[in-house]
Amino acid sequence: MTTTNQLSGIHQKPRKHVGPGPDTGTIDRLLAHNPVLWRGCDMSGRGDHGQTTGYAQLDDILPGRGWPRNAIVEIVSRQWGMGELQLLVPLMREVIRQGKWILWISPPYLLNSPALLQAGIDPEQVLVINLDTSCKDALWGMEKALQTESCGLVLAWQNWLPDKVVRRLQLAAETGETLGVLFQHRISKYSQSSLRLEIKDFRGQAEIVVLKARGNFRPLSVQLNLYQENLPLQHPGRYDSV
Amino acid sequence: MKEPESTLELPLLDPKPAATGKKVVPLPGRAKQPPPATTDKQQPRSLWYALYLPQLAELAEKLQQQHLEQLALLATDVSSSISFHSCSLIFEIRSSLRYFGGINSLHELLAPRIAEQLQDWSLEPQFHYAASPTVTGSLLLARGGRNLLVYHRDNLRSALGRLPTDVLELNREQRRRLYNMGVRRLRDLWRLPTDGLRKRFGSNFVNQLHRALGERPEPQKYYQPPPAFSSSYDLPCEVENVQLLLPVLEEFLAQLVDFLRRRDLSTSRLQVSLVHERQSSTDIALGLRQPSRCQHHLLQLLEIHFNNLVIPAPVVTLKIQVIRFDAYLGESGELLQGSGKNNTGHERLDLFMEQLQARVGEQPIRKIGSIAEHCPEYATPQQDPLLTARQSRKRRHTHNPRPFWLLPEPQVLKVQNGKLYHHRPLRILSGPERIETRWWSGIDIRRDYYVAQEKNGSRLWIYREKSGERRWFLHGIFA
Repeated sequence: MTTTNQLSGIHQKPRKHVGPGPDTGTIDRLLAHNPVLWRGCDMSGRGDHGQTTGYAQLDDILPGRGWPRNAIVEIVSRQWGMGELQLLVPLMREVIRQGKWILWISPPYLLNSPALLQAGIDPEQVLVINLDTSCKDALWGMEKALQTESCGLVLAWQNWLPDKVVRRLQLAAETGETLGVLFQHRISKYSQSSLRLEIKDFRGQAEIVVLKARGNFRPLSVQLNLYQENLPLQHPGRYDSV
Repeated sequence: MKEPESTLELPLLDPKPAATGKKVVPLPGRAKQPPPATTDKQQPRSLWYALYLPQLAELAEKLQQQHLEQLALLATDVSSSISFHSCSLIFEIRSSLRYFGGINSLHELLAPRIAEQLQDWSLEPQFHYAASPTVTGSLLLARGGRNLLVYHRDNLRSALGRLPTDVLELNREQRRRLYNMGVRRLRDLWRLPTDGLRKRFGSNFVNQLHRALGERPEPQKYYQPPPAFSSSYDLPCEVENVQLLLPVLEEFLAQLVDFLRRRDLSTSRLQVSLVHERQSSTDIALGLRQPSRCQHHLLQLLEIHFNNLVIPAPVVTLKIQVIRFDAYLGESGELLQGSGKNNTGHERLDLFMEQLQARVGEQPIRKIGSIAEHCPEYATPQQDPLLTARQSRKRRHTHNPRPFWLLPEPQVLKVQNGKLYHHRPLRILSGPERIETRWWSGIDIRRDYYVAQEKNGSRLWIYREKSGERRWFLHGIFA
């Protein structure tokens, strides 16, 4: 097969098609060593570069069987409180176990430490930055935090971010080997982040839809039960009818 | 010509120590350099001015020290060697006598200031003072309340002799013994043999007497005023672009780092002021999480400050001032490579926090504390990360559901047709969990907490008051 570039005429050499197919061994090696390369469809279970989410069903539909490393993840929900933090609890626990810090940038409400303790997250390793005024400062802080190695996870609540900014954060995450999570309300058309999930309510359970993932182009979704239901209360009171 | 002069000097000076009853036996090898001559030459060298403030004795020791230090700051105008003693200050004034034009004018300069300062502390403005060629001598004279000036060491013996023995630092037993011996004044002591005194009262007592007469050296620990660093620079022209100020700042920081290195200090709080014409100056407070004296690091932080700085007018003068000095803690290298990995991680975090602080200020950065407290509002204090008091690891926590988010204020929920509404109708999933606490603080908290789910929406933590209007409130969100 011969290709000629009529416009520039640079590629005059005919390109040879080698053998019956590409050398799969070389490709696998490249994929394993180069994080910038990924397969268009990585769902065959070959790639295992992700960090487990702690939910096996969710792992199954994510490329690399888990959260990507050194990247930006966007989690979209129509309102706060759809279980978006519960989804991240196993990851946060792992980050704490590694002795790294979790940075919370402009969370929408006050963080409640008993809940952190219940989830097995040491509040000592949690840092909150309340920036309700300046979006610019929050992004600056997020970028710096992503570049800081001792920060294991950066959680940020920013409702609307331009593509360019997300791209910049993505690059920062790659240099600092940190995972950044952006929580958003609305879905923008196009995104530079490497993974984007939406959380919806599905008959009382959480439905997680993969909107975009590097290494997967099929829309997949899974229903998860994020909360352990019907735990007996320690000190129950008398039920009171409304 | 010179030789006769030097020989003439010696006999003139020699008889003096002999007159005071001191026998100088010249050593055979050193006959030509008699030690008395050198001591006599030293004699006019120092004159010690003592301030005795008996009113301080009633104050607490710490306060006493503070007061003395403040008085010492006043005395730094007239002397550079100042030392503290109990309820008294002593400073050397011979070197500055000529400048101030005699001891009287010096005293007139100092006395009103000290009296004023004492009045500020609402203490009696009276104080005793004395000056003599020895530290202990001046101290004893001042304690004796004589307000005497003794210029020459030869007169010291007779001047001190008139003082009662109470001025000496004695314990009760020594005092009793002296009294029983019939010793009332110091001159009675002069007549007693030194060996016997040493045997009965110990060498400290005898040394005190010797020092008062200038027969023993008196090493002093001098007061050092606290370090201060401030510098300012008038720019040759008005500058509007703050980035152009960075080279000047760099020069400032070089001076500062040099200053700190010489004193083995570091700093954790700096202030840089940009002075404008006819406008109040723009102040930048630089706070560091860890004291530092690294020029590069400080400059980097200042750059961050300058990057989002808006100045109301052009800058005419630049000032820098150290607000707080800290001891310098040197870094030690690690023996094995990679063994201090955790440590560097923390340093990185500190660096990040400093940069963040430089950009957004201290207020927004908060650490989450946790207190064993039943009332949800009080269980999570928002702490200043600089006050990193590590809490105990063993914390008991409830197993009942707790939400990640708490609302700053509980929000009243609507009830329509017997159904609860937030944005949409709510369905109660579990509960109730009763929390009754804080009855001792006046705000009685009695609530029944439930977990509820909004239709097609989030999981909420709601409660109902057990008393009063029995309203429903939204308090938290499980996220």
